[in-house]
Amino acid sequence: MSSDPFLLLALATAGISTTLIIWYLVRRPVLSRLTKISLLFGIGILPIATATNGNVAGYHATKTTHFCTTGCHVMTPYGEDSLDPGSLSLASRHARNAAFGEENCYSCHADYGMFGTITTKIGGLRHVYEYLLHYHSMPIEESLVKIDLLSPFRNDACMRCHSTENQLWNQIGDHASTREQVRAGTVSCASEGCHGFAHPFSKAARRRVGVLP
Amino acid sequence: MKIPRLLALWRRSTESLLRAAAILTLVGLALMVWSMLDPTPLPVMLAMSLGQVLGTVAFAMYGIAIWKDLLRIRRARRDSLTNIPVVSIPVAPVAPVAAEPATAPKTREQAAP
Repeated sequence: MSSDPFLLLALATAGISTTLIIWYLVRRPVLSRLTKISLLFGIGILPIATATNGNVAGYHATKTTHFCTTGCHVMTPYGEDSLDPGSLSLASRHARNAAFGEENCYSCHADYGMFGTITTKIGGLRHVYEYLLHYHSMPIEESLVKIDLLSPFRNDACMRCHSTENQLWNQIGDHASTREQVRAGTVSCASEGCHGFAHPFSKAARRRVGVLP
Repeated sequence: MKIPRLLALWRRSTESLLRAAAILTLVGLALMVWSMLDPTPLPVMLAMSLGQVLGTVAFAMYGIAIWKDLLRIRRARRDSLTNIPVVSIPVAPVAPVAAEPATAPKTREQAAP
């Protein structure tokens, strides 16, 4: 459990609300003005505060790698690779960067822009829907072959940090020659020949079954 | 919710409505707390959907119960003011009093010692 202040506030308001409700249910007091005000807090104000703070805490929780990799079994290998200190995959190398911290999945997979958070969360709901209906019982080895991103990974996510404007970046010949294609998204940073796949083990599984050459 | 069901909700006593609201709130709170202690997709989604629906329904039931109680109090107050029973009290006949001789009232000067 984290020390998120929203989480602590939500737990505190939930505790007080529960106490007031149990007092009402057990003691069954006369419906006086004091009882009505107590119930207004117990049933109305404090649970609303719990829901509000709980939503913010839940929103923070849904951004963590723990959330992404523990809820659905098909994400287990991605989480293990991401947290493996010996892995050289693009995802793992970024996960070791302190700037990504505990939110390394979200940092790269979140949409960019003003409504990026909203579209990311709607996309996340789609993932849950697909998982519950189609992939819930799928073996992990099979999921590595069959489950794919809904749309190709966009370079925008990389360009949040690697702007392509930096002089050092442009001094590298491959960058300079593909700069416009990288910006347009026609050449992926996370592709073979460039920086390699972000999660190469899934490509290895596809090669094993002959899906990839 | 259909209208007959709403009417059935309205007919329930204030106490039973409040008890139901309290229990629904407890269930909603339990879902929310579960999602906070175990932030995995299922609890988080349940808390943000079912938990909040239960909480909203409970608060609405609380509102209905309090509204009903206020109406009851207002009705009782109105009845106590308007429905005063008209009672005819029999009055005993008064015996005639013998007339006293008329005396002129004393002036202030006369009354003073």
